[in-house]
Amino acid sequence: MAAPSSATHKPRRKSKKTATYDAFTKPEALIRTPSFPLRLSSGPPAAPCFQSPPMFGDFEAQRHWMEITTQLPISQWYFYDYQWWGLDYPPLTAYHSWLLGKIGAIIDPTWFELVASRGSHDPTLKIFMRATVIVSEYLIYIPAAVIFVRRYSRLFGVAPWTAWVALVAILMQPATILIDHVHFQYNTVMLGFVLSSMSSMLAGRHMWAAVFFVAALGFKQMALYYAPAVFSFLLGTCIYPRINVGRFATIAIATVISFAILILPIVLGALYDASRGIDSQPDLDGPRPPLPIFSQLADYLDTNAIYYPVVEQLVQMVHRVFPFARGLFEDKVANFWCAINVVIKMRKYPTVLLQRISLAATLAAIAPANFILLVRPRKELLPYAFAVTAWGFFLFSYQVHEKSALLPLLPMTILLAGKQGLGKDIRAWVGFANLLGAWTMFPLLSRVDLKVPYAVLTLLWAYLLGLPPTSTSAYFQEGQNAWLQWSTALVHGAFYLLMIVWHGLAQFVATPPDKPDLWVVANVGIGAAGFMLCYLWCIGKLVQESGILARKVGQSAKSKTQ
Amino acid sequence: MTEIHPSLGQCAVVAAALKILLFPAYKSTDFEVHRNWLAITHSLPIWDWYYDKTSEWTLDYPPFFAYFEWAMSQVAKLVHPAMLRVYNLEYDSWQTIYFQRFTVIVSELVLLYALQMFIDSAHGISRRAAQAAAISILLSPGLLIIDHIHFQYNGCMYGVLIASLVLARHKSGLLVSGLVFAALLCMKHIYAYLAPAYFAFLLRTYSRIWYRRHPRASFGPFALKGQMPQILSRLFPFSRGLCHAYWAPNVWAMYSFMDRLLITVAPRVGLSVNQEALKSVTRGLVGDTSFAVLPEVTPRICFALTLLFQAIPLTKLFLRPTWEAFIGAVTLCGYASFLFGWHVHEKAILLVIIPFSLIALRDRRHLSAFRPLAVAGHVSLFPLLFTPAEFPLKTVYTIFWLMLFLVMFDRLAPASNRQRFFLFDRFSTLYIAISIPLIVYCSLIHQVVFGNRYEFLPLMFMSSYSAVGVVGSWLGFMGVYFTS
Repeated sequence: MAAPSSATHKPRRKSKKTATYDAFTKPEALIRTPSFPLRLSSGPPAAPCFQSPPMFGDFEAQRHWMEITTQLPISQWYFYDYQWWGLDYPPLTAYHSWLLGKIGAIIDPTWFELVASRGSHDPTLKIFMRATVIVSEYLIYIPAAVIFVRRYSRLFGVAPWTAWVALVAILMQPATILIDHVHFQYNTVMLGFVLSSMSSMLAGRHMWAAVFFVAALGFKQMALYYAPAVFSFLLGTCIYPRINVGRFATIAIATVISFAILILPIVLGALYDASRGIDSQPDLDGPRPPLPIFSQLADYLDTNAIYYPVVEQLVQMVHRVFPFARGLFEDKVANFWCAINVVIKMRKYPTVLLQRISLAATLAAIAPANFILLVRPRKELLPYAFAVTAWGFFLFSYQVHEKSALLPLLPMTILLAGKQGLGKDIRAWVGFANLLGAWTMFPLLSRVDLKVPYAVLTLLWAYLLGLPPTSTSAYFQEGQNAWLQWSTALVHGAFYLLMIVWHGLAQFVATPPDKPDLWVVANVGIGAAGFMLCYLWCIGKLVQESGILARKVGQSAKSKTQ
Repeated sequence: MTEIHPSLGQCAVVAAALKILLFPAYKSTDFEVHRNWLAITHSLPIWDWYYDKTSEWTLDYPPFFAYFEWAMSQVAKLVHPAMLRVYNLEYDSWQTIYFQRFTVIVSELVLLYALQMFIDSAHGISRRAAQAAAISILLSPGLLIIDHIHFQYNGCMYGVLIASLVLARHKSGLLVSGLVFAALLCMKHIYAYLAPAYFAFLLRTYSRIWYRRHPRASFGPFALKGQMPQILSRLFPFSRGLCHAYWAPNVWAMYSFMDRLLITVAPRVGLSVNQEALKSVTRGLVGDTSFAVLPEVTPRICFALTLLFQAIPLTKLFLRPTWEAFIGAVTLCGYASFLFGWHVHEKAILLVIIPFSLIALRDRRHLSAFRPLAVAGHVSLFPLLFTPAEFPLKTVYTIFWLMLFLVMFDRLAPASNRQRFFLFDRFSTLYIAISIPLIVYCSLIHQVVFGNRYEFLPLMFMSSYSAVGVVGSWLGFMGVYFTS
């Protein structure tokens, strides 16, 4: 794993042109830590998992899925008791849970007994579950990140050592560690598949990019945030520089086949269980209920046909995975709708209207970036386009969760491995987005008493990258537009100041009795504004890097300054 | 001179982050011990400190440590006064935990300062090696396990020890070095084991032996009141057993292991077996060990053996009092007391590892003696943490530390100008290789195969294995010491 060895990759051509990495722009703090990357990347992720917060939420959900997938016939997975953490993730998560449940049952069968194990707090179970997150991450996310960073940095001719530093920074992203290892989820598996997909795109293996992306979607539907960018890029490579029908066909067939493989176990399971007479909803008496969505399908289909259980199964799965019936937003989340809700109460409008508005806003937010990617499908633009698309979804789409901020943060953070990645401009913005992202998760984390890991991990990351509040070295650099630098520093400084003041207020000042959510709402408002800036910065950089406005020089300089 | 990266301070920041994350981890009774001492020193008049018996964890450290606790209690009363009540036994509110854990991290600044002194005292090429050695001590899994999880203040006190050792490097610092060491003795008397080396070195290099008089300053107030016998009885509990509950990996652990083997052999050979002792050894976990076949060991024998093996290296120090020989002699004194001492706790292995780290990078011969010690010493600390939550942490951290620093030391240590012990190198490589199946057996396989039966077996294997390593590295280092 030490030195980049294979010299056959196509990106080598580019490296000569862009090998102008400026040694003076490296962040001092990170460079000072040789010998550390290995330890750092593995130490802290392992450490906070020994905090034991009350984990009745996501921890119990994941454990419960291991319980139902190992104990129930496959056709009942998506029908079983929705109220107690029913399975509402796509099939790959279900298979992952099944595998982990089988392994765990070897160690202690009582961990995953049906119903009896609900809310189990066995300390060894906790260790097992935490270990599964770490192992899954080490098997999928970390190799994907290593390969991606190697390919991406080689694209720009970045020195290997600098790329390693960037890799450590990427793997230590505070928000990701906090959500996966301190809270409890398997986001890194999905993010790892997305990174694999992106690095396949860099390597020119478009078919594999599609396969990996289907895997990401199959693990967590949240990966849909990236879907437009993936689509635009893959379609773009089939059209530009010349139309390539063969490539298009390969990608399309690979996508279809991988989707088919993804749902194959569910389909076969439904058929097999039906043939054995196992009902997918054993608790129900009386006639089979109508399909939960797409109920008009029943008019065309024979409910007694041999294929009907499969249709029912798949419709139920889609119904579970995409809960259309819920509101515009549930909890307080730092996106546009929740922030605007302070001024205009959104809930008074009909759901259908809100859904349409949110769809329109999302499409408007992602359209420019995807158009650029479609007409200029260049590898260098991938992280920007992914980030813009994911920010667009996060800010404007329907039913967003706080944790979804991880999705735009990942493509932004991998910019550190690219051209001038550890230079001041990118470092300042990537750092700003990540620290703000972690900060918007603070209300979520403080509910389960995880303030200390939050503080330690974010401050450590800021220290290692030389970012505020530990250092101001990411700002002010000679030989660049002074006006631009000052405006960036002032805007960021204002946000950092607000965050610090907010922490002080939230910790020591009680909210007024009539506004119990005041601090959370303030957090959401500031967060949404900051994320909006990040969105604009990404789109500005995308426009600038794509050279699509190259003739209008003034405009590209202007777009950079938001 | 260009700075070498990463600097000590940067490592300390990262390490401190990890240590803060470990605040809620398992803590041993030592946590309550230190809380009780905070309470005693804060709430009681100074004359009652060594007489108080409210808690079973009475004050049994020398007076400077009591003063140290008193100073901390002055801050503690601003933070959370409830922890300072003597009758508030077993009190562990989160404020108490955070405060006490935090004091450990803060008191480690002493260690940081001493290590920086050590780096600054080295010049040229050896500065790089010194930096590596200093970082290895700072990040030592031993200190992490004992101080930051199990709970004690060793980091601070080893900092004082290192400062004293470094001061002795130059003639002008000798007096201060002696005084600092004397102060250290008055914080924790376990360092008395190293005193013979100081005695010999200072006697030879600094004619007047001032430091011998110094301990009286710390005991002074108590001596005036005639409390010395009480304090001494607290400090030196000879009534405890030979082997500590957890089987420290020393000669006596090998002795017990032999005894255990002989129990099965003895009836056939016709040796008499002490039936009472059988149960005691089988329990093995708590209480005194007594031997079934082999003769009993008395404190007197331990003491004599310790002194004997301390005296041997001192002869060389006396003849050629260089700083390197002095550190070697300190290390060997640590070895002797650890291997032959009475009621040795496995935590005392740091008494060997830390001075040795300072000279392990002198050349390859030193390093090859150091390697089995580093493995054995740290592996032997594993039984200190027995909760499942800490198992992955202690194992992963220690293995990473060993891999990182053994590889780094290997690159940094210069070749020796003398012949290496060929077989010794082979022995140490083989030894390190054995540690992997052993850890796997003790932590996983034993549980699966035997369940809760034969609980003493993994402990005994671990401590015998570690004892072989410690004794082997001791013999090896003896050889290096006398031939260099």
